Amino acid sequence: MSVSYSPADMMAVAMARLIRNEDVVFVGVNSPLPLTAVTLARRHNAPNCTFISVGGGINPTVDKIMAATSTADLGRGSASIFDNQEVYGLNGRGGFDLTFLGMAQVDSKGRVNSSFIGERDKPTVRFPGGGGGPAILPMSKRVVLWRAGHSPKIFVEDVQFKTSDGNLDRVVTPLCIFRKEDGRLVLDSLHPNVTRAELAEKTGFRIPNLEDAPVTPEPTEEELSIIRMIDPDNVRRIEFGLQ
Amino acid sequence: MKQMTLEQAARLVGNDQIVTIGGTLSQRIPAAMVRELARQGVKGLHLVKPSPGYDADVLAAGGCLASVRAGMTTLEQPFGMAPSFRRAAERGDIDVIENACPAVMASLQAAAFGLPFQAVAGFAGSDVPGVAPFATVQDPFTGKDTLVVPAIRPDWAILHVHEADVRGNARIYGTPVWDRLMSRAARRVILTAEKIVDTSHFVAQPEMTIIPELFVEAVVHAPAGAWPTAVFDCYDIDEPAMRRYLDLGKTPQGFRQYLDETASQDRRALGVAA
Repeated sequence: MSVSYSPADMMAVAMARLIRNEDVVFVGVNSPLPLTAVTLARRHNAPNCTFISVGGGINPTVDKIMAATSTADLGRGSASIFDNQEVYGLNGRGGFDLTFLGMAQVDSKGRVNSSFIGERDKPTVRFPGGGGGPAILPMSKRVVLWRAGHSPKIFVEDVQFKTSDGNLDRVVTPLCIFRKEDGRLVLDSLHPNVTRAELAEKTGFRIPNLEDAPVTPEPTEEELSIIRMIDPDNVRRIEFGLQ
Repeated sequence: MKQMTLEQAARLVGNDQIVTIGGTLSQRIPAAMVRELARQGVKGLHLVKPSPGYDADVLAAGGCLASVRAGMTTLEQPFGMAPSFRRAAERGDIDVIENACPAVMASLQAAAFGLPFQAVAGFAGSDVPGVAPFATVQDPFTGKDTLVVPAIRPDWAILHVHEADVRGNARIYGTPVWDRLMSRAARRVILTAEKIVDTSHFVAQPEMTIIPELFVEAVVHAPAGAWPTAVFDCYDIDEPAMRRYLDLGKTPQGFRQYLDETASQDRRALGVAA
């Protein structure tokens, strides 16, 4: 039988499934969807993962997903406070197995631009900046990028400025999952109800295996019921409002 | 006497100085002090902070900033990017020194330990070191190329804390974010505090003191001094107030109105003569 779910649900589930039981997972700022994913994974497919939050917690108690994931509330229920210096210290010594990073643009080779478009001293578009990305992408064993939008402006052939590059594993979007293989992005799976023509049209680079890639397995009822329990107010949708 | 009014403390900050500001994005920002700096019209500030948000936006709207050295500047969800900062950057009014949170951290760490520079991990494949003040040196022990960033010693660290005494000892509950580091990196510290408490409170559990009085120049009693940003266990982000700020911040006249309508609350003189 088919169940009803949103693109945000699909993205959260897709990201949760990438978390393994033995992983040390880092979730940073501006990350309601990854917070939903890791909270789901801790209650479902990866109960023994170690979740480190930029809000200061190691395995904090998360009863409800919040919009601002830099909140110190993400230290509640933690047995110690792990501040930002600790986070980047651990990153520097290679302690993160999996990190979720947001981005403004990613290109066909998996390189990220979260800095600017145009001239650096007077840009056409100023993005927020890469945060910890330039240090995390090369150091975290795996990095999963996500973006609650999918257009040729976001998925470009070549970024003009490389904010960060490195151990990119997957890119999760409302339409699909890309993976990095031999230095370029290929289609890992296409979400249900998305056509291959639509994906090609909304992606600014050629997808080499567009016709061959499988369809993402739908969220299960169990996954969806956990998501609705931890996020009854549908905070995970917020990122879609800002596209 | 270190305890003073918000206006007196803001006057310590001079034009063209380097400042670092506590909290992150829309969390525990010393917001009343930031608004007061804008009200007093300070110019040419160099903001050095891994993750600015409301602070950078207000200072950009007030025309107070010459440069921002940051990893990421945003108000975070549910507000999105810092719009006044963005406009000023796109006009070319602010020198945005492209950076990364751990690189800004490393510059502050070098300053905090009295070192000329510090090595940073990562950055392979990134264009950031090519456009920012990074350098590659040879590790004298292994011969490997090593990326370094310079020490940056802010003139002031401006921090909002849960509790302070009149001598400048302070506690922060929940994550201190980068505040402990900032207090060591800067030449002097300005504190705004939710509560002023007796020194005996700190003496009873000295390991809880994040900032010792030694570094502190000024203490301002500022209840709700981080409003409309959040303070752990005290108050959450005031979303309607943040929306009103964003609305008024769209024009210089609106921003002036915002500073005017928040002035009387910000400038309440508590515990000291105005």
